[in-house]
Amino acid sequence: MFDKENNEISNSIQINEMLVRGMITPVEALTLFIEIDSQKKSFNKKISEEENLEEVMKELDELVGLSKVKYLVKEIRAFTEIQKRRHEEKLLAEPQVLHMIFKGNPGTGKTTVARLLGKMFGHMRILQKGHTVEVERADLVGEYIGHTAQKTRDQIRRALGGILFVDEAYSLGRGGEKDFGKEAIDTLVKAMEDHKDNLIVILAGYKDEMDWFLQINPGLRSRFPIQIEFNDYSVKELMKIAKMMVEKRQYQFNPDALLLFETLLQNSKKDIFYDKLGNARLVRNMIEKALRRQALRLVKQKNISREDLLQICPEDISEVKVN
Amino acid sequence: MKRCTIIGKTNVGKTLFLINFAEYLGVKLFNIELINKDSKKILYKINSKNAISRLVNEQPHKTRCVQAIEVNIPVGKGKKKIRLIDTTGFIDGIHPEVEIRKAISQTLTIIRDSDIILHIIDASTVYHKDLPSSLGEVDYQIAQFAQLKRGYVILANKMDLLGAEKGFLKIKEEFSGNLILPVSALYKRGFKEVKIFVAHNI
Repeated sequence: MFDKENNEISNSIQINEMLVRGMITPVEALTLFIEIDSQKKSFNKKISEEENLEEVMKELDELVGLSKVKYLVKEIRAFTEIQKRRHEEKLLAEPQVLHMIFKGNPGTGKTTVARLLGKMFGHMRILQKGHTVEVERADLVGEYIGHTAQKTRDQIRRALGGILFVDEAYSLGRGGEKDFGKEAIDTLVKAMEDHKDNLIVILAGYKDEMDWFLQINPGLRSRFPIQIEFNDYSVKELMKIAKMMVEKRQYQFNPDALLLFETLLQNSKKDIFYDKLGNARLVRNMIEKALRRQALRLVKQKNISREDLLQICPEDISEVKVN
Repeated sequence: MKRCTIIGKTNVGKTLFLINFAEYLGVKLFNIELINKDSKKILYKINSKNAISRLVNEQPHKTRCVQAIEVNIPVGKGKKKIRLIDTTGFIDGIHPEVEIRKAISQTLTIIRDSDIILHIIDASTVYHKDLPSSLGEVDYQIAQFAQLKRGYVILANKMDLLGAEKGFLKIKEEFSGNLILPVSALYKRGFKEVKIFVAHNI
């Protein structure tokens, strides 16, 4: 009689032989094949998922600055790994609450990080899908009584298995007691509890406004155990970002242009509205404008060399204004 | 070339389905390739009428080795060649004849390498537990095994017979979550859906 525990059957040839000899029935043979094939499949899946995770981690590492975020991700990754090992040893492995608050000025990488985190958690199997749904006040708050809860729930449903990223979240706290924003917050909090294993909510916004928002909604602070501040980039970091952006688009700054670009950024730092200018987004806009100006300059030129196509000159940048 | 394997218990109509489905796809003269238990290939040509009388029988285990033909499946504006493979039927227990056991083992090897699996179940005998072709443990196991593959469909055959409607409902209930198509291999009914399924999965 066939006894599964006493026979270590590792390959299909053995199974076939046993079948031919009449030691096992076709049903038993199929059961063994299912075991072998599903093991093989899960092994392959694991390998490809690890590769994908490494790719996202690399992408995150390539982001300039953001040391706090990188550290947090390392922590979460290590924690997940250990929880998996604990699970294998049949020890208690509780999932963590990973709802977060991102505070920072525009262009400091909040959205970029949220998208990467989604992908990463998807590959780590913390989230089922790992997509990011980006919403703002208008997507959550309705126009009449009862409309808000419905609208918010719709967005939550879209985000299940991934991340719900609420941009400018503090605006939900504006408008006082009678504003529907409060209803949106209540619905969000309820969903965070109901779907705590399969949804991560990230609230994002300016630092001061978010601090005020948490103050007027004291219950929220404890529900978002992870709070990350995205500091403004220094000029040095912004230059690094600028060089990366230009290289990615297959252009080059000539030395004069580089100098000018840096001076412009330094001047913009003195601007009273600097925190609203958009950090990395400002750099991107400046570069995009410079590229358009370079194109305009070259179109007028008769002979265009490969070198010309690559180079960004000071005259392309000179008129880029911080506005 | 993609491989499409027809499997199921003995006497559910696998060979008849092979011949009639191939004919439905436009094959007139069958170039059948027999692969016997020693993995030797034998080629022979036969027309569909002769094929049915020679290869199909009411006795269980008429097919004792794997037989395959190449057919064209219309995909988009063009055609794609696939290998349609007929196999020896499964049984729930251990067959006394070594030859049949060898053939079943050969079938198992083939389905592991197939891209598409057409699992035939006799819908008319679902409620007759004692017949060789009636729904058995092996069918559930096949379904579980084939779920690991992308192209898996259950064909509820013999829909022309009495009681098949009831049997079809039972199959739907037992194998919920899988695609189940009702067919009649004898009267070539339901072949269009099978063709669409195969074309979609190659």
